[in-house]
Amino acid sequence: MSHSDALVQELEARSKALFNDCLDQFCTFSQGHVGGTMSVMEIITALYFHHLKFDPKNPDWPERDRVIMSKAHCCEAIYAALVELGMYPEETLGTYYCYGSPFQGHADRWCTPGIDFSGGSLGQGLSFAAGLALAEKLKMKFNPPSREDTFLPRYIVRYNPRFRTYCIMGDGEMHEGQVWEAAMFATKFKLDNLIGIVDYNKWSLDGPTNDIMPIEPLVDKWRAFGWTVYEIDGHDLRQILDSLDLVAKQYGDNKPKVIIAHTVKGRGVSNWEELHMHLGRGEEMMKGVREGRAKYGDME
Amino acid sequence: MATWNRYVEIGEPVMTGKGIGKAIKAAFLKDPRALAILEDMQFPEIEWFTDNMFDRMIECGIAEQNGACVAAALASEGFVPVINNFLFASMSRAYNQIRQSILVDRFNVKFISREGVWGEVGVSHATIEGVGSLRVLPNLVIMNPADVVEAEKATEAMMQYIGPAMIKQEMSPNPFKIFTDDYPFDIGKAYSLRDGKDATIVATGYMVTEAIKAVDLLEKEGLDVGVLNVCTLKPIDEDAIVAAAARTGAIVTAENSSDINGLGDAVACVLSENLPTPLVKVGVEDEFGQSGLVTPEKDELMEHFGLSAEDLVVSVKECIEKKERLRKGV
Repeated sequence: MSHSDALVQELEARSKALFNDCLDQFCTFSQGHVGGTMSVMEIITALYFHHLKFDPKNPDWPERDRVIMSKAHCCEAIYAALVELGMYPEETLGTYYCYGSPFQGHADRWCTPGIDFSGGSLGQGLSFAAGLALAEKLKMKFNPPSREDTFLPRYIVRYNPRFRTYCIMGDGEMHEGQVWEAAMFATKFKLDNLIGIVDYNKWSLDGPTNDIMPIEPLVDKWRAFGWTVYEIDGHDLRQILDSLDLVAKQYGDNKPKVIIAHTVKGRGVSNWEELHMHLGRGEEMMKGVREGRAKYGDME
Repeated sequence: MATWNRYVEIGEPVMTGKGIGKAIKAAFLKDPRALAILEDMQFPEIEWFTDNMFDRMIECGIAEQNGACVAAALASEGFVPVINNFLFASMSRAYNQIRQSILVDRFNVKFISREGVWGEVGVSHATIEGVGSLRVLPNLVIMNPADVVEAEKATEAMMQYIGPAMIKQEMSPNPFKIFTDDYPFDIGKAYSLRDGKDATIVATGYMVTEAIKAVDLLEKEGLDVGVLNVCTLKPIDEDAIVAAAARTGAIVTAENSSDINGLGDAVACVLSENLPTPLVKVGVEDEFGQSGLVTPEKDELMEHFGLSAEDLVVSVKECIEKKERLRKGV
């Protein structure tokens, strides 16, 4: 299960490129959800540049893996990944938040090919992801893959879902009751093709997540709902890759999986980290942008 | 007795739910992509579904918000989910889920929602705000069939239509069977049951039955009153409403839900923009529902909320008076 140093280094470079792309987006209106975007950066990198079954040339491919960004205010990270994958030209980054831009303030499936879910209203993503996972199960049941469908050997077809669904949630989102409705639903329908990822950066808009409304013990909660739980450091690419591989290998055990990724809000920029900045605005944010640019060396 | 247009043949009272159940059954047999989303609230023809369609029943339990988002996701994968529930549970409880997950992306989800003031269920279940709150949401088609035949045809049309659509199901046992079996239903088309000369009652859902009773009462007093049945509340048939106003010059709207932002307001808007006409709204006047007895002979709630045929007669006369005053320039 070990991943080569070359791969990890490549992904680290990718993640820095994404970081830079996000800074570009923040600059458009000197505004952006910097905290959550920075904390989820490595997870998005690992998904889009190594793990996912995703074809940038054909974003509507029915067999693609689905990524549901339930905390859709952090869609900047996905936009950056789509730009790095070549789906959108780099200039699009400068239209973030703009009228008519495919890069809307919150992810919008209708106007951004490559996005699977129109989020923004928290708590709904996991339900939607569970619905997609159920749809995959139903398609397998009503219309099982035949030998003609694929060049792969039959045993591989049988032991892999047509697609997996990944749902990225915030920790503040755990306050939403609907998340737990979806957790029950996924267990009932044995959705082993569904993988939740909680970006546990410990801070919400008003303050520490666990002060606003304690969500601990989070691992026990998910376990009690019948999910298999993994806890990782969400900034360690090796741990992210390992956990994603591990989860994929357990397909067939009839249990949904959740990866709780411990992260740092606003990671990579000192004043964003200090302030646990959620929504960055104006000069304070631009200070961070300059620091980030200096640190990771802007290409320009 | 009053004369009626083609396709109208007033019969005995039948619950509209029977028509919906029949059409849903047919749609599931025809379209293998149709899925029943259950929220622990009896699906139409549930026994038949349990026997024949068990694979296609997705029981979500009493978790309507989750149910709405799951339906959205299933629709995004090409299935046609049908959600059946009381309106307060499926639509009001999951209002934001429907807005954000279903309507924003125009996913092909169908709703059958029970609403209106009827029977013993009380204030929680007898909602009056549904149509008013949903009419402002883009991309949603809202229908409220008047009788068992129209309910069947509307459900059939809803299942064929591609996009989110909702049927408001009347739970009263009293609506007449109104239409003949060859009645041509079309989403977005209002049908004139009777043209009339002195005034037109623009009614929807169960209130079409009360309007029919009112026409007979008014005829005895020498007034010739038309009835326009508006099944599709959104998009509303502007042409038919303007034509009715041009024909009779007095419009009374009738709906058994809140008169705020419902059929009455929609018709008033159409008329003020196109052909200002004296108008009287009949509906639940800014008040919550409650329990009451409903029998074929007596409907306590209709009397309480001023929705009975007798109340319609009073409103029609009031409207005709308005028209006369306007004509005389007083």
